[in-house]
Amino acid sequence: MPQIRANPNRMELLKLRRRSATARRGHKLLKDKLDELMKEFQARISDNRRLRRDVESDLAGAFGLFALARAEAGSAALASALMAGEAVPLLGVTEKSVMSVRVPVFALGTLPEPGGYSLATTPAVLDTALDRLAAVAPRMIDLAEREKAIELLAAEIERTRRRVNALEYVLIPTIDATIRDITMKLDEAERGNLTRLMKVKDMIARQEASGGR
Amino acid sequence: MSERRVAVVGDATSVAGFRPLGFAVFPVERPADARDLWPEVLRGGFGAVFVTEPVYAETADLIAVIADVPVPAVTVIPAAGSAGGVGAAKLDRAIERALGTSVPQREEEE
Repeated sequence: MPQIRANPNRMELLKLRRRSATARRGHKLLKDKLDELMKEFQARISDNRRLRRDVESDLAGAFGLFALARAEAGSAALASALMAGEAVPLLGVTEKSVMSVRVPVFALGTLPEPGGYSLATTPAVLDTALDRLAAVAPRMIDLAEREKAIELLAAEIERTRRRVNALEYVLIPTIDATIRDITMKLDEAERGNLTRLMKVKDMIARQEASGGR
Repeated sequence: MSERRVAVVGDATSVAGFRPLGFAVFPVERPADARDLWPEVLRGGFGAVFVTEPVYAETADLIAVIADVPVPAVTVIPAAGSAGGVGAAKLDRAIERALGTSVPQREEEE
């Protein structure tokens, strides 16, 4: 395990111990965050597939009806009939925080009543097609909101996991290895000192013994 | 709360029906034309943008740029006559990114 370059003294040791404690606390916090994000994520993906499938099949149905209307009225007549209407701010957008991830919350307002085209020149199936599309629109918005949240959560989970792994497998082991190394070097120095002291004491004792004789 | 519009980008046949419902429609002749249209869509300040599958196939890299911001939410919808499944695949990729593995679909979901 690679180590941090640090002088083997007690001050560095204390600093590293403090760093190790901080890294462990950070790791625990991030791990808890990751678990909670996963919980949120799992809850969101469970229903999403079904919703998407429903929206896709309903849209396909509506597109089929439009194709029928086009066949009956002709492309040009249908295109001019559908020119009516303009884009209006339909969507109330707020944001909420899910584990510090900002996700959008959409509230769809009332859709304008489709119309403005001649009922005499357009087939009745066009009304049905527009009704079908209007019926699927709220679920499309719901789908957009859910999928955006899922994508944002997925990105955050990936980032958090990378941080957790970096702390768990790189930073904490590196600090621990350095602490071990410094501790061993300090112990070695301590033993060296002790041996020197014992030897000096021994020499003094021998000197005193020879002087006394 | 801000009031925003909703946009639909795709071939004229698929998007025409959304105009009477108050959506902003961006019809394109060829899916690749959506690349030129995309800056305009982003400037429009839309809350949600729906793109058809062929358009998504051409503009996936442009859409990925705004993946990290809450709005606009870009969602893939099938075009008239397209096979479907692209939106689900996009979501599966997000799930794979998060979990490190794809989640098999349960039988009861089928």
